[in-house]
Amino acid sequence: MHISEGVLSPAILIGGTVLTTAGVAIGLKKLDQDEIPLIGILSAAFFVASLIHVPVGPASVHLVLNGLLGLILGWKAFPAILVGLALQALLFQYGGITTLGVNTLNMALPAVICYYIFRQGLGKNAKRSVFALSAFFVGFLAVFFSGILVGFSLYFTGEAFLPAAKIVVLAHVPVMLIEGILTSACALFLRKVRPELLEGIYV
Amino acid sequence: MFKNIIHLKMHEIKKSRLWHMVCLIFIFFLYASPVSAHRATIFAWIDGDTVHTQSKFSGGRKAVGAQVEVYDANGHKLLSGKTDNNGDFSFKLPKKTALKIVLQAGSGHHAEWKISAEEIEEASGKKAFYEEKNPKVAVNSSQTAETDPIEESPKKIVTLEYNELKKMIDESLDKKLAPIIKTLADIYNRGPDIRDIIGGIGYIIGLVGIALYVANRRNKN
Repeated sequence: MHISEGVLSPAILIGGTVLTTAGVAIGLKKLDQDEIPLIGILSAAFFVASLIHVPVGPASVHLVLNGLLGLILGWKAFPAILVGLALQALLFQYGGITTLGVNTLNMALPAVICYYIFRQGLGKNAKRSVFALSAFFVGFLAVFFSGILVGFSLYFTGEAFLPAAKIVVLAHVPVMLIEGILTSACALFLRKVRPELLEGIYV
Repeated sequence: MFKNIIHLKMHEIKKSRLWHMVCLIFIFFLYASPVSAHRATIFAWIDGDTVHTQSKFSGGRKAVGAQVEVYDANGHKLLSGKTDNNGDFSFKLPKKTALKIVLQAGSGHHAEWKISAEEIEEASGKKAFYEEKNPKVAVNSSQTAETDPIEESPKKIVTLEYNELKKMIDESLDKKLAPIIKTLADIYNRGPDIRDIIGGIGYIIGLVGIALYVANRRNKN
């Protein structure tokens, strides 16, 4: 999921950086002072999630957790993911500094999209089963869309789109399932114990 | 948070089954794989006139069947190949210039290793030394043995021994150093350790602190 330095063309890098800057700006504008610690905690969770890896065939894929961030934070997932990715690039050399913009966009945009698609199903008065299923699809589809965006990024740099996207998406199918279950479980748990954390969805 | 989980379990054992499963999955992955994830690395070293490379994903998984491309200092592609089942790929030195070895592990995974011209000069110079000088010295000593055995031969014999000795030392050093080079490659390719993780979390806490500080000040003003 992390695209390393020296793979993408400058046009893509600049485009990704511009769009990410816009996303982060929107996120910061919507940011409330009370939410800062919450964003910090979720950013830390995102930062560490990449270390939990799932072996798939010859390669290995890791948890992303962007769906969970999108579900709780909405647009504010952009700054949270940016911080997590920047630290991963600096400390683990996952991705890179020049690809930070593209990588953030690839992971945060699907989070925001899923947030808007499944907002209804995650509402306060939604049935438990509907709520659980919506949360599952937020986790599942956020990773799926990320895979497609990675495929797109590689496509614009010269790799054929379908094979590139197929490899990324297929490799992440187990992660999608695990993320879906995890997101669903976390959302159900929060609804029960800390419903105020999910208030962002109802606004 | 854990108290809450226990609370939940006591009261609604059925509903918490899902939670149970998720916790188990989490713990399974935490233990099944030590700290590991997704970054590709390549490590290369010269042995005589051969360049060996070793490619891995961080966490120690070998990059099998990945594309390795070799470029010279001007960016011209010299050769390319695929890694074997151990993630290794070796090739003969094509040219005496600085080399840039690029690993393309697919799906945006990309790594580089550079070898400077001096390093190559030194390694290939060593080889040329044996090939060119030794026969010449041997011819000289056989000639001198016929013409002037007393004056010339002790000196020539010394050079011959010096060459042989140097070759022997180099060979045995290569052999002895091989495991150390392997270890270096492993260290270079290793994944993030606990210090990196704690450090990263520390940074995030620090950022939260700064953000809260700024927000607080703005409120006061």
